[in-house]
Amino acid sequence: MTAQTDTNTGQGETAEPDERLSYRGPIHRLLTRPEIGALIGTAGIWVFFWAVSDVFGTVAGTNNVLDVASVLGIMAIAVAMLMVGGEFDLSSGAMIGASGMLVVLLAKEAGEFGGAGFPLFVGIPITFAFAMGIGWANGSLVEKTALPSFIVTLGTFFVLKGAKLGFAKLFTDKVIVEGLDAAPDFEFWDNIFGAEWTRNNQIWDSFLGGRDLVYAVLLLLGGAAIVIGLMEQTFKRRDGLEPSGLTLALIGASGATAGIIALAATDGVGANWLWSIVLGIAIIVALIGFGRWRYEPAVRAEKSTTVQPTVMARNVGLGLGAIVLGVGAGLALDSESQTEVGFLLTVQGLRAVLFVGLAVTGLVLLILAARHAKQSPIVQAGITALAAVLLIVLAFIVQSEASSRKFRAEFFAWLLVAGLALLSVAILRLLFTERRHIDQSADRLGRRASIIGMALVGLGVVVRLLFTTSGEVVPGIVTYRISVFYFVTFAGVATWVLLRTQFGSWTFAVGGNKSAARQVGVPAARTKTILFMVVSGAAWLGGMLTAFRLNSVQANVGDGQEFLFIIAAVVGGTLLTGGYGSTVGAAIGALIMAMSFQGIPFSGWNSDWRFLFLGVILLLSVLVNNWVRKKAEGSS
Amino acid sequence: MSGPALLELDSISKHYGNIIALTGVTTLVNAGEVTCVLGDNGAGKSTFIKIIAGAHQQSGGVMKVEGEQVLFDSPRDALGKGIATVYQDLAVVPLMSVWRNFFLGQEPTKGWGPFRRVDREKASQIAKDEMAKMGIDIRDTEQAVGTLSGGERQSVAIARAAYFGAKVLILDEPTSALGVRQSGVVLRYIIEARNRGLGVIFITHNPNHAYPVGDRFLILNRGRSMGNFAKEDITRDELIMMMSGGAELEALTKELEAASGGDESIARVAEEFADELEERTETPD
Repeated sequence: MTAQTDTNTGQGETAEPDERLSYRGPIHRLLTRPEIGALIGTAGIWVFFWAVSDVFGTVAGTNNVLDVASVLGIMAIAVAMLMVGGEFDLSSGAMIGASGMLVVLLAKEAGEFGGAGFPLFVGIPITFAFAMGIGWANGSLVEKTALPSFIVTLGTFFVLKGAKLGFAKLFTDKVIVEGLDAAPDFEFWDNIFGAEWTRNNQIWDSFLGGRDLVYAVLLLLGGAAIVIGLMEQTFKRRDGLEPSGLTLALIGASGATAGIIALAATDGVGANWLWSIVLGIAIIVALIGFGRWRYEPAVRAEKSTTVQPTVMARNVGLGLGAIVLGVGAGLALDSESQTEVGFLLTVQGLRAVLFVGLAVTGLVLLILAARHAKQSPIVQAGITALAAVLLIVLAFIVQSEASSRKFRAEFFAWLLVAGLALLSVAILRLLFTERRHIDQSADRLGRRASIIGMALVGLGVVVRLLFTTSGEVVPGIVTYRISVFYFVTFAGVATWVLLRTQFGSWTFAVGGNKSAARQVGVPAARTKTILFMVVSGAAWLGGMLTAFRLNSVQANVGDGQEFLFIIAAVVGGTLLTGGYGSTVGAAIGALIMAMSFQGIPFSGWNSDWRFLFLGVILLLSVLVNNWVRKKAEGSS
Repeated sequence: MSGPALLELDSISKHYGNIIALTGVTTLVNAGEVTCVLGDNGAGKSTFIKIIAGAHQQSGGVMKVEGEQVLFDSPRDALGKGIATVYQDLAVVPLMSVWRNFFLGQEPTKGWGPFRRVDREKASQIAKDEMAKMGIDIRDTEQAVGTLSGGERQSVAIARAAYFGAKVLILDEPTSALGVRQSGVVLRYIIEARNRGLGVIFITHNPNHAYPVGDRFLILNRGRSMGNFAKEDITRDELIMMMSGGAELEALTKELEAASGGDESIARVAEEFADELEERTETPD
């Protein structure tokens, strides 16, 4: 049976080999990105801690995670760039403390215990020059001697570590230097490196209809743009537009708008129900209309191809079974019981684990079954739709059974959205022809629409995180530090540099094949030296942020963190061997680490476990990265 | 083709201290012709190309580019005169995309100041067109070069050199690591490059690859030129004989016979070897 199907696909491929090879859909291309493992990991870990802990996922919890992630992320991004360039910098951690300490020592009043008494206008540029000097020295030494950067920067690490301790003792007789705020122009610089944003003071009630409306509109526009982007990249454009489709799309869109307005206006449960259904149907109608307007309808030349019934049926059966078992476990076990069943797990916890685990397994099996049914679009769409319906059913079971509001409301909503998305995928793939070749204008439009969509969604989340409404109740005061801003900005700039500029190209080249790069005229030594300077520059920024946060710097700040930066980069998909990697991935890697560092204490576990967790994440992410990349490249 | 040859070498020699790596090598490269440099390991092929590529300077002899006498200080110098070298394993960065490889070091940019960025669309389009001129249809220039076949990888480097204004293209053992089919692919690109008017120097130790594409053959053995022939003056078998050195082959046969002792299998090999040698030496005359 398997052999027969194999020959079938073989024939299909030889018939139109070029088309098969030439175009990879948006999902497929996403899977070959270096960041994909980290992205999946982020989603998984986020959901995990969100489900387990009360604080995680709230604004305050997010702030905590971002706070930890920021300096880590700034460093991880720089380190990832250097690793793409094929080198390591083990002095990056110690450099944070060194620049922080230097700025304090330069600014401190000259007194009994050391201090140069410089204004910060002098001290900060000196510190920056010092950091650049260390980076330049690292780079030049590595390039001149051709020694492994591992050894050279290990040397720098010990030099910095020793110097920090030695000078701290010498000048202050302590292992901590204090008194940054005594500098005359401290206020000015504190606004740059130590600024804070207190969310509770930022009430946004009326302007443009209030924060919540702006948030919702941004989210919807972003979502629509992403959907359009994905459709543009997935389906084949038809010759000439079909106006009736546009009409249908507009009807759907207005229906959806009405549904949303009605949902926002009514809080009555009955109306909610009705309008949710209206909304769901309207969205699907809009999608179908949009598709009719722009894309080639599917041609159903029903081939008498054999699906792999055994594998498919087995997966469908197993999937359904798993879901039924999961629901059964959810219904059977007592949701209130706190009795322990072992391994720190209460009956309540066991119920959650069983339910979630089995339900997810079931859905994954169903989707796998749908993939097996590639030969017959109708069967495939049927199975996908079945999975979607089951997802929606699960959503309602969760809503009726879950004890916390978080699950009943937010989780319920997300499950519904996921079910709706899956259902739309099933319907759209059945109705329209998928593109099998490159269409530059469609690709460009699709890419831009997706990017704009993601930016809009991101902006929406930022708006929600930064502002509050007078109606919103958030326990505690949420204060963001400016380090988060630097983190996000640096991630954006570094990504642009790496992917869009000549320097970025050279970075990939010197890491991938240095002699080839040199051969075609890339200044390899200069590129690498600049990369080392980027890392020490990032460490300088980290040092400033640390110093201005605490007004004092301990001699051991940053020591040993260099490995955390490398781990974050690797979790983000950067290869240890150089030539491949991503700064966005490194930023996500830093987020993952911060989430696990914060999520574990949030969940009430001893924070010592975090290193175990970190190790497992590191291994898993590397495995996932490897596996996904091989699979994606192998099948392309 | 009137006027001076693209590249002319007269009695080039190279000494490393008291070691004579190359002596009295003479050949020329015309536009639209392939000059093959043949020789076994240690024949002086790499010294020869390093001189032309500007990595080393000759100790004696005259090198002329388009009639003008030159002495290169660096590979950049040679590149400036339009002499580009494609090294077998140093040609490309496997993890980078085709268009990035194509334009590496000379990326077209747009925008100004801090917003200066690589013009991806232009680069991608040019790379695609140039590869198409070589007869390769790159479907997606975002594809990593590592996913191309060995022959196609070489051709990326060849197309790149041609695009950036090379007049003389030195190919260092482009077929040595490739299988039969892939070697064929590369040989086709050599012909494509020749047809576009480039002078090609094709270095190889495989006369079977050299003979079909070459217009001129320079045979090196132990640092000496064994001759510099136009295609009409030499047959394939003569080429093979000259390349390996007939006298040496005979010596090798004797050695094999002596070594065989009682071992029948080695004796058989020696016999076959001798037969073949005989055949070869007979046919040319």
